Amino acid sequence: MDWHILWQYRAALWDGLVVTIWISALGILGSTAVGVVVGCLGATPSFFLRKLTSAYTELLRNLPLLVKVFFFYFVLSMPTVPAALLGLVLHQSAYIADVTGAGIRSIARGQLDAGLALGHRYWQVFRYVILPQAVRIVIPPMTTQYVAVIKNSSIVALIAVQDLTYQTQEINVETFRGFEAATAATALYVLVAFAVIGSMTILQRRVLAR
Amino acid sequence: MTEDRSDIRRLVQSPRAKLIVWRFACAIAFVLAVRVIVRLDWATVAASWLFLLTGLGRSWLLAVVSIVAGGLAAAPLALARVYGPPGVRQAATALIESVRATPELMIVFWVYFTLPIVTGNQVTSWNAALGSLSVIAAVYLAEVFRAGLYSVPRGQSEASAATGMSSFATFLYVVLPQAVRNMVPALIAQLVGLFKTTSLVYAIGVMEFFRSITVTNNAVFAPYELYLVLGLGYFLSCFAITRVVRWFDPKYQLLE
Repeated sequence: MDWHILWQYRAALWDGLVVTIWISALGILGSTAVGVVVGCLGATPSFFLRKLTSAYTELLRNLPLLVKVFFFYFVLSMPTVPAALLGLVLHQSAYIADVTGAGIRSIARGQLDAGLALGHRYWQVFRYVILPQAVRIVIPPMTTQYVAVIKNSSIVALIAVQDLTYQTQEINVETFRGFEAATAATALYVLVAFAVIGSMTILQRRVLAR
Repeated sequence: MTEDRSDIRRLVQSPRAKLIVWRFACAIAFVLAVRVIVRLDWATVAASWLFLLTGLGRSWLLAVVSIVAGGLAAAPLALARVYGPPGVRQAATALIESVRATPELMIVFWVYFTLPIVTGNQVTSWNAALGSLSVIAAVYLAEVFRAGLYSVPRGQSEASAATGMSSFATFLYVVLPQAVRNMVPALIAQLVGLFKTTSLVYAIGVMEFFRSITVTNNAVFAPYELYLVLGLGYFLSCFAITRVVRWFDPKYQLLE
């Protein structure tokens, strides 16, 4: 084992880490935006919205991420980074929609009925009664989803986005030091994941403190 | 007259009418989709149907074999995490959590590229695929087993201890049967995630469903037809597993 190889390739690993963090951050933001909207629409009393959103999540959850990314890249001939991001966002948004929907549905139905009985509109009850309670319930499963985005971002290496996994492969091809490179990359992935878990825990404490 | 109108409104807004409208819209969408699909050129794809079906079969084989192997490895892991002595418990937790935090693709590469370096033996890509998928299945199933063991209320084991059963008998006859019953849907649900994960071993050259599609596409270039087959193959497989889960527990929240 030759750990000096890591120091020699520190620039490549750093570049890969930066790309992974960028892709993950944009993936987290995008999938949260899409997923929360879809999840909220799915939790409304409207029959058709419920059916449409469940069709969306069923379709996207039953296809592997690799299929989506390759479809955007090879079939629709999108550039690498947009194809990767679109695939990541669509994939994780389905899971986030389910998490959000489950969180909203876990708020007792009586809360909604009470709000409506007081003469508020659905959106007022949603905004001021259901949402503040749902946010607290949704944060822990959301953390799991964000870690999944970071993990899934490694797949974009297969369409030659130069992220951490891609750089690991490059180091392996050039030096046959796959073991050292993979160990370093895994450690970096775990580090990024722990950073997200830590910040979500802080966020949860602040939300709960309110 | 006004009475008539309100009757009609009530009819239109009834759940039954909405369901009929939804089914009708689905039928129209289905017919339109079929019309588009029929217009595609299927001759080139039809020629390699056996190759593609073999690929799909390999994906199923990978998923089923590795979930069985992973399950066998997961049982001691989960038991060590729940009932192990202090040192063992932390070690099992650290192992499970660190593998769970590692990207699946990295695990596949790790087993394929670094296992030969560490052990000095050659590993075929098929065995590396089985090995890496089994590792992935093992850590996720260990968490399912743990959740199953925790799902049995504490009062159950306390009650059996109070009737004088040994702790082993309590586990075997009281906790385990209830835990297994609670975790069956979650166990099958893991197969959905694992079936999708089999697409990753494409990267180390196993000729499973995803790779057989891309190889065919390189040969005949029919991306729309082939990706449609690809999507349908994965969707129908995962959907079928989901149906089985729902059959066991209609309210099960599928989150893998």
